[in-house]
Amino acid sequence: MAHTPLTRRELLRSAALAGILLPAAGALSACATPAGNTGAPTAPTAGAKSATNPLGIADDKPFEVVIFDGGLGDAYFTDIHQPLFKTKYPKIEIKHSATKEVAKTLQPRLAGGTPPEVIHNQGANAMDTGALVQDGQLFDLTTLLEAPSWDDPNVKVRDTILPSAIELGTYDGKYSVLTYTSGVWGIWYSKKQFDENGWQASPKTWDEFLALLETIKKSGKCAPFTYAGKHPFYVYETILTLAAKIGGIDVLKRIDNLEDGAWKAEPVKQAATAFAEIGAKYLMPGTAGLDHVQTQTAQNKGKVALLPCGVWLENEQKDSTPEGFDYAVFPLPDFSASDAMPYGTVHARPGEDFFVAAKSANPLAGVEFMRGMLSKEAAGKYVELVSTPSVVKGAAEGLQLKPGLTSANAMLSAAGDNTTYFRFRQWYLPMHDEVAAATGQLMNGRLTVEKWIERIEKKAADIKADSSVKKFTRT
Amino acid sequence: MVSDSVPISRSEARAIRKSVLGPAWWATSQIVLLVWTVLVAVPIVWTFLASIKTEVELDDAWSLPAVPRFDNYARAWEQAHIGQYMLNSILVVAFGVAGTMLLGSMAAYVLSRYRFRGSRLLYLLFVSGLAFPVYLALTPLFFVVQNMGTVPVIGQFIGLNSHGGLVLVYIAYSLPFTVFFLAAFFRTLPTAVAEAALVDGASHTRVFFQIMLPMAKPGIVSITIFNILGQWNQYQIPLVLLAGAKEKWVLTQGIADISTAAGYDADWAALFAALSMAILPMLIVYTIFQRQIQAGLTAGALK
Amino acid sequence: MRYGSSRFIIGFLAAPVLIYAIYVIAPYAQAFYIALTNWRGVNATPEFIGLENFRRLFGDGIFWKAVGHNALLLVLLPVLTLGIALFFAFLLNVGGKSGVSGIWGSKIYRVVFFFPQVLAIAIVAALFQQVFRPDSGGMINSVLPEPVGFLSDPDIALWSILGVLVWQAVGFYVVLFSAGMASIPKDLFEAAAIDGASRVSLFFRVTLPLLWDTIQVGWVYLGIAALDVFAIVWVMTAEHGGPDSSTTVMAAEIYRNAFHYFQFGYASAMGVVLFFFTVGFAALALRLSRRERVEF
Repeated sequence: MAHTPLTRRELLRSAALAGILLPAAGALSACATPAGNTGAPTAPTAGAKSATNPLGIADDKPFEVVIFDGGLGDAYFTDIHQPLFKTKYPKIEIKHSATKEVAKTLQPRLAGGTPPEVIHNQGANAMDTGALVQDGQLFDLTTLLEAPSWDDPNVKVRDTILPSAIELGTYDGKYSVLTYTSGVWGIWYSKKQFDENGWQASPKTWDEFLALLETIKKSGKCAPFTYAGKHPFYVYETILTLAAKIGGIDVLKRIDNLEDGAWKAEPVKQAATAFAEIGAKYLMPGTAGLDHVQTQTAQNKGKVALLPCGVWLENEQKDSTPEGFDYAVFPLPDFSASDAMPYGTVHARPGEDFFVAAKSANPLAGVEFMRGMLSKEAAGKYVELVSTPSVVKGAAEGLQLKPGLTSANAMLSAAGDNTTYFRFRQWYLPMHDEVAAATGQLMNGRLTVEKWIERIEKKAADIKADSSVKKFTRT
Repeated sequence: MVSDSVPISRSEARAIRKSVLGPAWWATSQIVLLVWTVLVAVPIVWTFLASIKTEVELDDAWSLPAVPRFDNYARAWEQAHIGQYMLNSILVVAFGVAGTMLLGSMAAYVLSRYRFRGSRLLYLLFVSGLAFPVYLALTPLFFVVQNMGTVPVIGQFIGLNSHGGLVLVYIAYSLPFTVFFLAAFFRTLPTAVAEAALVDGASHTRVFFQIMLPMAKPGIVSITIFNILGQWNQYQIPLVLLAGAKEKWVLTQGIADISTAAGYDADWAALFAALSMAILPMLIVYTIFQRQIQAGLTAGALK
Repeated sequence: MRYGSSRFIIGFLAAPVLIYAIYVIAPYAQAFYIALTNWRGVNATPEFIGLENFRRLFGDGIFWKAVGHNALLLVLLPVLTLGIALFFAFLLNVGGKSGVSGIWGSKIYRVVFFFPQVLAIAIVAALFQQVFRPDSGGMINSVLPEPVGFLSDPDIALWSILGVLVWQAVGFYVVLFSAGMASIPKDLFEAAAIDGASRVSLFFRVTLPLLWDTIQVGWVYLGIAALDVFAIVWVMTAEHGGPDSSTTVMAAEIYRNAFHYFQFGYASAMGVVLFFFTVGFAALALRLSRRERVEF
């Protein structure tokens, strides 16, 4: 070991030296800069506009689609969207790939100016939409809205999809993200299990809800309640929906707009207190360490009765759901008689983000591809495949739907205009992370409601003060 | 170091054992060592066990499978492409380590045995690489590799989504430790033979390959093993550089992929099967070569 | 050795220096510059903001929490790993029945102890995620009466991470120390043993001093490893360093800020800080050891 003292000293000296040398090496770094500074949007692609080709895309220029692989792989691309597109443009080659690491795969390509045309920006490793907007990476999809729909040249695309989808896809006044599905949240249960035990689903008031939890607990058959412990989003989503139901949509608007004291509002406090109580009394043991699939599978196995989730649940669990499980869902009960929003109010929010990269080589082809995605045929097949409602109006007409989706559709139509949503998750990812972390601790009883509010308020203030982060507002 | 031990007779040895290292000591030692063996082996054995269970049987961690379910392996093979990815890993690591050792030993030799203007500086520049967190370089590195891909003729072999590009990056990132380690090693070698050979008219290159390199064998073996382990375990770099070509992925990417996929499909049995397929060959190779590996590691580190 | 060697020097250094400059120096130089910008990773022209990122870093509670965790690992990972490894190496080498030679089965122990070392970190992380599962499917929790939140209880999670790191590292140092002990002359032990030295004093008077150099090297390696911890935390824990930042480390914060929040400038500033921490640690290690020898 005779050399070690020497080498340790060398290590130290070299490190000190590196500090001096590195700037000198800056010259070298020229080759470490993005190559694609030239990647400005290319001139509109040549091609004659016509009734069948309203955007006038070149019918032989290839483009690329990258899909988030959330367990479905690229099945819907290869089975639905690509064949449909090909019927119209047989000569256009579509390159495609699927990834679970959306950000790592695509961020360097976006920065380098060589992004794919169509990007499905979804999943735990999705890219921060706010950052993308800030850098002008999103192609303005107003073109898409104004184009005639795939099925009927007399109807614009704008009129074939839900208004909420347009609203939520609009960033900075420009429609730039296509949200393909119409997500709706609620509390899920097995109709079979409830029928067998004589439990009454769909409680109308908070007291009825607590009584139901108590009955399940007393029965000793299973735990009453759980959520994806490793992803507390699933429960803060529920808390915020309850807060909106108690205090009205403005509660969430103020939160999204980072207004001072937005989290201190009484409805937020009441909702958080209510769920902290559920966390203390009715939570399945071990919840905090389980992820969404593990808790959902626990429900399939009859170990827990209720869990809050989005409408994709049934599809996500299709392989582990026992025969006759009979998924069903109910909305949050009334918290008190003075709730601002009526019984049946739900969190409904279009989701599954797709966008066209502004700096891609052939963006109009990407828009045309989206136009195809929004055709009734494509949307309907997608609904069947993933068992999730579509933003395309009437896409599910005449389809044979699974029980969970039927139940969710009923809940959604019963809600009518009484829907809520929040947007800070897409706008300010660090905010989402903080709310999730704090809510996890709230449910475990390690954080009081007051501390929970204090922490989140502080984060909101920090983000508000951070000049490098682009701010969004909703009205 | 004096290593001759004074021979002692059997009876003396017995006396020592009785007086100092008695049976209680022996038994305690064995128990302690056995406990750690269990701690190390059980998670691994448990993975093998879990890999042949059904989804329902997995619910009880310690139950035995009613029938071994080898179809888990079929699914894992299919989904995680373990075979393909292992081949890719072997290919990349083989070339990566070979290149690292060649270039690393050349650089280390020159920097440790020749004095010239800037030699110190170069050596320090290499070694300072040890202190860089690699996450910091990932994005700029992506552009470097992307730009290399535009070099005429050879670009396609060293750009993004190519094994050649990954190999070059592995070599570059293994150089700091390799140079650091081997330079120290070369310094400890006696110079007389090399000097004599040079006087006799041998070229510097020949002296290096035919005299110095064989003399440095223990150090070379040891650092080779380090580099194999290090490059085999790499995850972040291939993740970024091979993102667009799934068929070129390396094993760690496959494992991480199926580990994430299990979160969507709830196919834990397949995850365990994939883990088993990744673990087993490593254990077998290690067990076969364990004597050489242990000797190599310690020869270098304890020189 | 300077008999017309310049051509040879250039010939030998050209390839390694070129590759190193292109793939290592250039990206890092770029990263140091990015630390002075507000680059969000997707636009091609970062805006220069001077030391603003570093100023912001001072008020970032989560980052300092991560630094604290790294510091804890920096102390405990080497202490535990080296302590356990020394103890095992001692048992393996002088616990034998035939006087002071290796204990029965020492070869097998050495082979098995080294197993974790040959597994990729990604595999170890995926493996222990299952071991620590909080429900009946978890290896440990299925036999405990009350589930323990190995990774979900913020008071325990960091210790679970430490446990996995030690689990993986011990084998290597057992082998290293064993080889070191094997080179210690047997008669030293015998002399001490005949003098009636207890096992404890045998260890402290003979083994430890003679292995001191090797231990120091191990300490430096493990210290750098402790500052670099990433994959285990990122893959195993909820919220990637949670719950509630209870296991986060500097590398995880760098990664999160870069690839999740797209704050590449800020993340690079963290990387620069980590760089200086690593350098500082090396300096400290050098200072504390102070057993310098003559350079040659």
